Amino acid sequence: MSQDQLADLSRLLYSPVTLLLYVSAAIVCLYALSTRVALHETRSGRPVGERLQRLGIALAWTAVAAHVAHEIVRGLAQNRLPLGNMFEFTSAMALAGALVGLVYLTLVRRKPELVGFVMLAAAVVVSSAMLTYADPGPLMPILDTWWRTFHVTVIVVAAGIFTVGFLFNGLHLLRDTAEQGLAAARAVPTGRSTVGAAHIDDLAPGVVDDERDRGADDPGRDVSGRVAPDEDHEVATLPREAERNAMRAAISPLRLAVGTFLGTSTVSWVFVATPTTTLQEGLTRALTVNLVLVALALVARWFVPFLPQASTLDGLAYRIIALGFFAWTFGVIAGAMWAEQSWGRFWGWDPKETASFLTWIAYAAYLHARATKGTRGRGAGWIGIGAFAVLMFTYYAVNLVFVGLHSYAGLS
Amino acid sequence: MTGTDSTTPPEANPKVRPPRRRGTGPLAFVWSSVVMGWRWLVRMRTALYLLALLGLWTLVATVVPQEPNVGQTVDDWRTGVEGPGTAVSAVLDAFGAFDVYGSPAFLATLLLLFLSLTACLVPRIRGWVRLVRHSQPPLTRNAGRQEVVARLTTDRPADEAHATAAELLRGSRWRVRTQRTAAADGLAAAGPPAQVAAEKGLWSREGGSLLFHLSFYVLLAAIVFGQLLTFEGQRAVVEGARFADTPVSYWTYQPGRWWTEDSHRGWVLDLDEFHVDWVRDPLAPGAGQPTLFRSDVRMTHADGTVEEAVVEGNRPLVVDGMKIHQLDWGYAPLVQVEVDGEVVFEDFLTATATDGGHFRAAVKAPAANPDLGLSVFFYPYAPEGDDGNPVPTGAPFADAPLVLFQMFRGDLQLGRTQQTINELDTSALDSAGGAWLREGAEVDMGDGVTIRFVELRRWVGFQMSVRPQIPYLLLASALLLGGLWPALYAYRRRLWVVAERDVTDGRTIVTVAGRAFQRPQAFDDEHAAFVRRLARELDGELVRQPAHPPAHGPAGDPDGRPVGAASAAASSAPTVTADTAPAGDEAPERR
Repeated sequence: MSQDQLADLSRLLYSPVTLLLYVSAAIVCLYALSTRVALHETRSGRPVGERLQRLGIALAWTAVAAHVAHEIVRGLAQNRLPLGNMFEFTSAMALAGALVGLVYLTLVRRKPELVGFVMLAAAVVVSSAMLTYADPGPLMPILDTWWRTFHVTVIVVAAGIFTVGFLFNGLHLLRDTAEQGLAAARAVPTGRSTVGAAHIDDLAPGVVDDERDRGADDPGRDVSGRVAPDEDHEVATLPREAERNAMRAAISPLRLAVGTFLGTSTVSWVFVATPTTTLQEGLTRALTVNLVLVALALVARWFVPFLPQASTLDGLAYRIIALGFFAWTFGVIAGAMWAEQSWGRFWGWDPKETASFLTWIAYAAYLHARATKGTRGRGAGWIGIGAFAVLMFTYYAVNLVFVGLHSYAGLS
Repeated sequence: MTGTDSTTPPEANPKVRPPRRRGTGPLAFVWSSVVMGWRWLVRMRTALYLLALLGLWTLVATVVPQEPNVGQTVDDWRTGVEGPGTAVSAVLDAFGAFDVYGSPAFLATLLLLFLSLTACLVPRIRGWVRLVRHSQPPLTRNAGRQEVVARLTTDRPADEAHATAAELLRGSRWRVRTQRTAAADGLAAAGPPAQVAAEKGLWSREGGSLLFHLSFYVLLAAIVFGQLLTFEGQRAVVEGARFADTPVSYWTYQPGRWWTEDSHRGWVLDLDEFHVDWVRDPLAPGAGQPTLFRSDVRMTHADGTVEEAVVEGNRPLVVDGMKIHQLDWGYAPLVQVEVDGEVVFEDFLTATATDGGHFRAAVKAPAANPDLGLSVFFYPYAPEGDDGNPVPTGAPFADAPLVLFQMFRGDLQLGRTQQTINELDTSALDSAGGAWLREGAEVDMGDGVTIRFVELRRWVGFQMSVRPQIPYLLLASALLLGGLWPALYAYRRRLWVVAERDVTDGRTIVTVAGRAFQRPQAFDDEHAAFVRRLARELDGELVRQPAHPPAHGPAGDPDGRPVGAASAAASSAPTVTADTAPAGDEAPERR
């Protein structure tokens, strides 16, 4: 095949193929979740649900495979690793997030019912990459080095992992709000924290073991409320409709929509400030991004009753972000080594370097907050959300708005 | 962070000092302020605030241009040419926002952060050392009451079960303590039963965290000492020209405090040729993108040996411990200015690239009377249009080079105003017309002034640097990452193996109990795997515990538990044998 044909094929594989697969995997997995047919309930006489869940996971793996195929074909079309411009970074970030999320949920923590959210996030990131689409092309010679491959790969994977962490953080806060609201409605006293809310005995679908929870003072331990599985109970975990509505009612849709809009606006302004777009284009993009994310937040609100309890989501977010933090640290160090090799100075407070340091500080604050009394639970969750906003700022603003040595967005 | 135990009365705990009698007067006030400040500093929350403050400075430095990096942009902000205006810039200047990393506020934050870190680490290190040196795995009185419990039955005697368990655990690098019987150790009859107690991850998690935090001191020391010993200098060299490593030959020069003239290596560099190329096909993908930057150089070492070498982006040349980087390049037109038959200026201009694709330079000829200055625009590719005049383009390849200049006469103000080499201060100059030139051509500007564009070469901006701190920075990075991994992923857990002979059927019941301080999911798998291994070694049979009554209300989401057929089978089958049980199948009972 010629380079042009490969380029066309890579584009086809990306959109529509990969995108559609992510979307359909998300729809199937979320539908399976909405009927509360997670795998460990399948023995309760729900073979259809089991098949749906399995189909969703299979679709998810197919989507990831298609995404990998896209990366390979694009690499062949330009004879280099597809990590050279903003489109390629975003695409690889989505792939890293989807792959890590999928492996973590299905193989490590065995929470396959959450795969739908990861697929949804992957679909959003994959389509957002289309905003910065660039045809395959050669690489600037200064970027053509093993160091780039190493540094960029690690950083992009870390960003993908952080994206999954952000997803879990968001779900944690939503679920926590619902649990606290439900507890307040039933006049059950709780503490301010997640852990407190999960203590309520009559709060479906579960409670945290008391003794375990007292041990949660230890920094970094998982507060995930594990109790021995009880077969009879699992059927009972299906939340009744009244309960589902009560949980949803605890989250005000207006506040959620306005909050999400304002929150995403902190980052989406970069599309307006980008020198390469007109004001109208920029405004349209920013508004689209905001509205899509508001819609997704409202979708997530609907799914809140089917989620694992808040403390479990908190633990998932913590573990994923810890992994991302390690990768990010490694990537920043690799970047400093490359800078030493390329420019003769390991650190120059270039905007991108500064912003990556800022991101590191933000996630370090999250990890510390999670080990500090008073900021654990919700507080840490919000810091995690803020840290992701900083990451997005580092990624978009510094690439598109500020002039520095890292302005390799590949847009012109 | 507190090293005292608040649950015991003060007289039982020698660490709690009796309340100090409060003095009066200014000295006591100062002292109590210091104590209060210190207490504030050692709090974890304070560390979080300081981290946030560090983040704030960093955010400012990302958004506001920094003088040491982009001095020109900062000047443009101050004069209002660019940026939010002079008023805002004045405010930013007042807060030192144009040089955050040199500002006292930033240094103070960093100092407080390190103080807070030190205050936090000292008691932690002491506690850690005490733990590693003096503690041993604690015994259990009732293994059945631990968090994770599994039982198996075997025909082997209890002593053998203990010995096997201890051997297995030692093989997996657990700290193991074997306790025969309470009576044998002179304990009361109600003491703990014979058992094997083991502990793991005791020092690696906390130790990793300590190592991670301590590596910042190594990092800081490396950076500070590096600043004293470092050297960095820049110089642009035109093709065919030569550059010698002496202090006077650098254009800009940043030596560390301990760098002396003798520290120069004294080599000589000849730039033979600089190669640059682009994707020239306008229809090809990435059209116009550069594809090659390479300098062919000849190095003459201090001892007289000569060698050919190549400097490329990402591939610096290392000469006697000095790194030579190729950082920048541009076109170097050789321009000659003649006034009344006398050559007043003849030099290669180091024209620098602008955003528009052309290159800028300046000619300053104070030898002319009055002073003569040229503001030069260089276009590498300006083909002839239909009317015979050149049409400047933004293309970078020198296929049709064109020098376009504006001439000025008057006072150049050299040495009185700050001007860079390619910048002309025209405030005291009068415009004297402009013209354009092709390579090899000349133009008569009147007044006896003739200007020639003799030939075109290229220049390369080299940076020479010596950074002795690099190995120490690498060491600090290795310590940082090496500490971070166990700090995040190692976990502290305990195991107890208690074997007792059952009087009813004469078999031995082995209880394997455990408790994890972190990562209970990972511990479940580890515990289950150990139970399976032990059962295999002892030819034992796993015992499924009777279902635990839901004393704490309905059981929750079985987080981290194997799902699907495996767990369903486990919960329906009361007993499973070790050989057929998949991972995590024991479903340990919890209390």
